[in-house]
Amino acid sequence: MLLNNYLISAWRNIFKHKLFSAINIFGLAIGLAACILIALFVRDELSYDKFWSKADQIYRTHITFSVPGRDPMDMVMTPGPVIHALLKDFPQVEHASRLASQEPTIIINNHYFVDDISLVDEDFINIFDLEAVEGDLNTALKSLNNIVLTEKLAKKYFGSNNAIGKIITIDFDSYKRDYKVAAVIKDMAKNSQVITDALVAIDEPAWKEKDWMFDAWFSVNSHMFFTLKKGADIKSINNSWSEFIDRNFPKLPFGGTGAKTSDFVHMTSMSIKDLHLKAKGDGEYHEIGDMNTVIIFSTVAFLILIIAAINFMNLSTARASSRAKEVSLRKVLGASRKDLIIQFLGESILITAIGMIMAIVFVEFALPIYNEILGKTLRINYASADLIYVAALAIFVGLLGGSYPAFILSHFRPSETLKANKSAESDASIKLRSILVIVQFAVSITLFVSTAVVYGQMLYAKNMNLGYDKENILAVKEVYRDVVLKKLPLLVDEIRRMPNAISVTWSNFMPESGNNNNTLVRTEKQALEDASLIGSREIGFDYFKTYKVPLISGREYSIERGDREVLTDDLRKGLNYTGSIIVNESALRRLGLGTADNAIGKLVFISKGNPSENLEATYEIIGVVPDIHFDSLKSTIRPEIYDLSVNYGSVISARFSGSPVAFTEQVRKLWEQEIPSIPFNYDFISAAVAKQYNAEQGQAAMFAAFSCLAILVACLGLYGLASYTAERRTKEIGIRKVMGASVFDVVKLLIWQFSKPVLIANLIAWPISYFTMTLWLESFVYRIEDFFILGFCLLAAFTALIIAWSTVAGNSMRVARANPIKALRYE
Amino acid sequence: MLKLQDLTKAYRTDEVETVALNNVNIEIETGEFVAIMGPSGCGKSTLLNIIGMLDTPSSGHYFFKDEDVAGYSESQLGVIRKQHIGFIFQSFNLIDELTVAENIELALLYHDIPAAERKERVAAVMDKVGIAHRAKHMPSQLSGGQQQRVAVARAVVGNQSMILADEPTGNLDTAHGQEVMEMLQKLNEEGTTIVMVTHSPSHADYARRTINLLDGHVVTESMRSKI
Ligand SMILES: Nc1ncnc2c1ncn2[C@@H]1O[C@H](COP(=O)(O)OP(=O)(O)OP(=O)(O)O)[C@@H](O)[C@H]1O
Ligand SMILES: [Mg+2]
Repeated sequence: MLLNNYLISAWRNIFKHKLFSAINIFGLAIGLAACILIALFVRDELSYDKFWSKADQIYRTHITFSVPGRDPMDMVMTPGPVIHALLKDFPQVEHASRLASQEPTIIINNHYFVDDISLVDEDFINIFDLEAVEGDLNTALKSLNNIVLTEKLAKKYFGSNNAIGKIITIDFDSYKRDYKVAAVIKDMAKNSQVITDALVAIDEPAWKEKDWMFDAWFSVNSHMFFTLKKGADIKSINNSWSEFIDRNFPKLPFGGTGAKTSDFVHMTSMSIKDLHLKAKGDGEYHEIGDMNTVIIFSTVAFLILIIAAINFMNLSTARASSRAKEVSLRKVLGASRKDLIIQFLGESILITAIGMIMAIVFVEFALPIYNEILGKTLRINYASADLIYVAALAIFVGLLGGSYPAFILSHFRPSETLKANKSAESDASIKLRSILVIVQFAVSITLFVSTAVVYGQMLYAKNMNLGYDKENILAVKEVYRDVVLKKLPLLVDEIRRMPNAISVTWSNFMPESGNNNNTLVRTEKQALEDASLIGSREIGFDYFKTYKVPLISGREYSIERGDREVLTDDLRKGLNYTGSIIVNESALRRLGLGTADNAIGKLVFISKGNPSENLEATYEIIGVVPDIHFDSLKSTIRPEIYDLSVNYGSVISARFSGSPVAFTEQVRKLWEQEIPSIPFNYDFISAAVAKQYNAEQGQAAMFAAFSCLAILVACLGLYGLASYTAERRTKEIGIRKVMGASVFDVVKLLIWQFSKPVLIANLIAWPISYFTMTLWLESFVYRIEDFFILGFCLLAAFTALIIAWSTVAGNSMRVARANPIKALRYE
Repeated sequence: MLKLQDLTKAYRTDEVETVALNNVNIEIETGEFVAIMGPSGCGKSTLLNIIGMLDTPSSGHYFFKDEDVAGYSESQLGVIRKQHIGFIFQSFNLIDELTVAENIELALLYHDIPAAERKERVAAVMDKVGIAHRAKHMPSQLSGGQQQRVAVARAVVGNQSMILADEPTGNLDTAHGQEVMEMLQKLNEEGTTIVMVTHSPSHADYARRTINLLDGHVVTESMRSKI
């Protein structure tokens, strides 16, 4: 019954102080909603690959190539032959499998598809627990002619018909084969770095023609997973990679006689549970996360919670004085301190409970947009423990925010508080309140500055001059397939003839996609051991014209001038002729070839084929281009050569004028007519480059949104506090007005009262923001200047003051205008 | 000093009209000491507030130094008020968060007076009312009589020519009341015009003239002959 009484009185109190309750509940709801959203994100990020039954035993190997004078190349892939050496050298390894993701052409009943097919070793099913829906998974991969499909693909290919035993023809370019569906498995979980739609066993001999896939020590094209035997320590393997490398890898042709391969090649293995957040390097098949992001967002969530709790505390203690009479009367009537504490905590928890329900409604409304930004499918699972977590969060905040006020309120002595004309509040609690307001604003300002820096950096990167013109270029993909390559000259010719085509070219890379091909290059004066490893890209005729890159000196490849590439097969046959080559400025510097003008006509020697073959081709430099940002801005521009490749490319790039849609449709028509077996796949270079920043942009937007919420919650609290303060100070303001203060004097006074904490908060927030954001910026090679942070700090201070003023101004004006006799009359 | 002519003040609340002052005609000379008496609710405070320009009349004229201020706006009144009028209240109305000295300084704060001069004048007036040794204390640490002395100091520190006091002794015991009355008398002797509302006939005796109000009307005005 007593509980009932508490509830009723709590409920009435909430209604009696509508503004106070509304601010408290709304602020809490926003704070809790933000927390829940972030928690869902963080939980998902932390859950990656933890669900495998052998999660504790599964590792993936990574490799780093450290070439002298170059940024190390971190790869999350592993050279193909490593798996055989691993199984031979390390008895502690239980199972091992490679996984290479390919996009072959798939033919079923004369229908063509392009889908991800994973090439794996037979042991794959012993590492990852896949769930068979139909067929026998255990024997499926023992045959090189079987395929395992996920339910998703089985449905796509065969509808609702039983897929088992059906035939799928796959054209891997190196070989074409009929596969029989031997098993259908459940679709794989999304929170994993190991998602595949279909599995076939690796048939190494069938890939002989493309030996770099599975049989080259210095080429990486697949992931490698292994499980450790129970009781074995991963350190025993991770500590012996150097010896492993020297024992198994061929010797590299540089570094002199004393050099070992392990001087340039490093390997390590990482637990599968860490891959999503901690793996660093090129070659992921699925987007990875970032531990920093998780930490940053968890911190933001925590800060928002703190701000919301502070609001709660501040408003409750501020209101305490006006409740002093109620408390005293209850005490006089026999309530113990415990009773009062229970009553006030009950009120807090009731308020948080209402806030929590509102928060869940907010979350449900926000989730669709949130998921779209993050590319996830997060949700609150009401059937699980989620609700308990949310409730626990609310109770935690309720207790955090409510316990201090409860303590303060219950502490009032009737003898003191019933005496009129005495402020019931102690100086300490007023002081604490201003400290808490300072904390709130310091946090808000720090978040503001951080958001501005993150956004500024993103915009800077997005708008940085890349060195080429990315607008109005259509990129036609899928060109690397044999069927397309056969028609490459024809396609280029036909597109070039289209009225809106300005210039057409081809290359073996997309500007944004990252390219780690390297080759040894030396000048006439240099010995083979002194050759430099230089990045190499293959391009067709008119490449720089199409991408609008002005050459510094010389010219680019043209059919008319008879430029030619040196074919590796010709070298093998002993044919000797000089090819043409274009280099960038960094390569000139690396090779010591002097100025761009002097370099024209000089000869360089470029290694070809496998290192063991010792093949070198002679090239004459015909052009020098500036350093161009073809890769992500997170890496420095490397020295590069641009090799002519007349017959090979993976992308055709066409600069056009007029409507992009019309031009694309024209090209599509041509493609469908010439290459009916492969779906037309295209992109615009500008869009592809922008895509690089999608994840960052999403996170920046998320960060900005949560910072705004934090600031909003802090402002709500300030508003509540301001209206309370104005009320509390009416008598004082009345006196001041009688003493001659004008409306303006009074507004100034009140605004200054709230500006002081904001200014102090700035002094705290600036150094913190400056320090953390310069640290954050360090991970970018090309970044905004540090003084921008100072600019953002000033902007934040200005904004915070404006916000604080406009929050407080309304109340101040009202109080300042009021007739003083009203305030002085009723005592 | 001031002249009220056919002055009326009516309060309108929820259809009910309360006429607090009805056709009041009063003249007060410079240097006078006037007491206003009457039963509770007869309009004494209302009258004092209008004289003090904290409130405006509903109709009639209010000549302050030959200037009709009846129709003046709040800010216009504020300018005249802060120059000429000081206030003393029954409940002292000191600001709890400020010290004694700061409370007194408040009356100079809005007058464009340099800080050094303010300090000097505050010190002088504190000396005069005998609370100099309490300068750093908070109002809550003072007795009622001491608080009212601070209020008197605050009312005179600006050298205002007229002091309005609304039951200045209402919250004080006899001895302390006496003290405050003597202080007012001394100020009056130095030339300050004083208008005081009081319920105590003996305190009204300090004044040279008593105005009796009843239901918003002036009923009698009696002069006390100088002894
Ligand atoms: N703001 C107001 N709104 C409505 N009525 C008011 C207001 N102020 C005063 N009154 C009314 O005007 C009349 C005169 O009030 P006033 O305060 O002047 O009386 P008083 O003579 O000072 O009384 P007391 O001796 O109790 O202080 C009263 O009837 C009061 O109810
Ligand atoms: Mg009165």
